[in-house]
Order: sequence, then structure tokens, then C-alpha cells
Amino acid sequence: MQHRILIIDDEDDIREVAALSLETVADWEVEVARSGAEGLAMAVASQPEAILLDVMMPGMDGPTTFRELRKNPATAHIPVLLLTAKVQNTDQRRFADLGVEAVLFKPFDPLTLSAQISQILGWN
Amino acid sequence: MDPLEKPAPDQVLIDQALNRMWAKFLPHLEERIDVLASANAALAAGKLTTGQRAAANTAAHNLAGVLGTFGLTKGTILAREAEILYSGEPETDPEAAAQLGRIADQLRVLIRNRKSGAAGYTLEK
Repeated sequence: MQHRILIIDDEDDIREVAALSLETVADWEVEVARSGAEGLAMAVASQPEAILLDVMMPGMDGPTTFRELRKNPATAHIPVLLLTAKVQNTDQRRFADLGVEAVLFKPFDPLTLSAQISQILGWN
Repeated sequence: MDPLEKPAPDQVLIDQALNRMWAKFLPHLEERIDVLASANAALAAGKLTTGQRAAANTAAHNLAGVLGTFGLTKGTILAREAEILYSGEPETDPEAAAQLGRIADQLRVLIRNRKSGAAGYTLEK
């Protein structure tokens, strides 16, 4: 089944590799945003089934973007998976406490990223 | 991977696409290493500014996140080490200059020597 997912990440390389992975391996429809603000607008307009959200972004970071998504009735229901290169336990606990669906870690395996997301969201 | 074992079609497609992306983003990755090298030179000279330290921390964080995705697991480990040393908590120790210099050099070599091909992603796994 084809799913629709929005990737929000300011890093071109990570964003493009993640999009490539989800499109090539899983045949999902992928939209991309380069900032939290752009991602918020795209989430409202396109209503993706899930959002893959980078943590560390200039301007509006991932946690702030997540809180804005939850505040807006148009996007509050969309599951959000945080994507982070932070590996310290304190960071992990802080992110998990936000109420996101899951926290995924960079670097990710492009071959298994879609399977990981599918498993978390029950898309199998 | 067993050299006689054929990679799965998905892996071939991903490897080919990753190799194209590697070529596209290589200059950007090298720029990040340049940021680390500049910060290291400043640290060794006792002239590391807060801005340089923060830029080096961000560059190392970005490298840590991306190198493993391109199969360079060791690159991610080295970049994480640099990220911690440039985190500013505690203040980056000038004594760490030699270590940070080695990390920047090793990252440059790893990036230069990354091999492409059907098993590109799994080279270091």
C-alpha cells in the first residue's frame, strides 16, 4: 500500500537520502520541507499520514515544530516520528517525553528505514 | 556480503542512488570538515571563539548524522567524538587540539576513500 509521508529536515543530504529511501524501497509518496515553518504549512495543506521530523534545525527546531503541529486541530492527529543524531540518554528521554510516536536515530539505514517506520505505525 | 551473493534489487537501486547523492553532496561534506579543521587550528592557537566552537559542533553533528547513512560508520563515530569535544560543556580544552586535528584528518581520509558500488552501503557494517 502506498503511504504519504512528510519529511522535515534542514539538511539537504539527510532529507534527500531519506526521501530516496522511502520512495525507492517502499514506493511511498514523499513530500519534503526544509524548515519547521515550511513543514507546518505543508502538513496543513497536504495532510500526510505521518511526519518524519528532524530535531536540530535553525529557527523552529523539531520539538517546537512538534508542539505547533499538536496545537493545530488540522495537524494534531498526524503521527510524528522524531529523527535525531543526538544519542545521549538525557536527550532521548526528553524527546520521548514530548509525546511523539517514536524517536529514530541518525545515521539510519536507507534499506530498512521504511520497514522501521511501518512497524512503528502499524502499517505492515 | 558474500561476493558470490547477488544484492537484492532494492539494495542495488539504493546503492546506485546513494552513490549519485554522494557525488552531489561530497563538496558539502568537505566544507564541514574544513570547518572542523579551522576550529582546530584556532583551538591550537588558543584563539577559538564561541562562534567557531558552535560552528564546529554543528558541523560535527551533521557529519555524525549523515556519514553512517552513506556506509561510513567509523566516520559517524569520529564525528560524534568531535561533536562532544566542541559541545562547550565543559569548555573545549586546548589540550584536545591534537585529538581533534587527528579526527578531522581521519574524516577527510574516510570521505576521500569511500568506495562506491553495489555493496556501497554495507562496506563498514
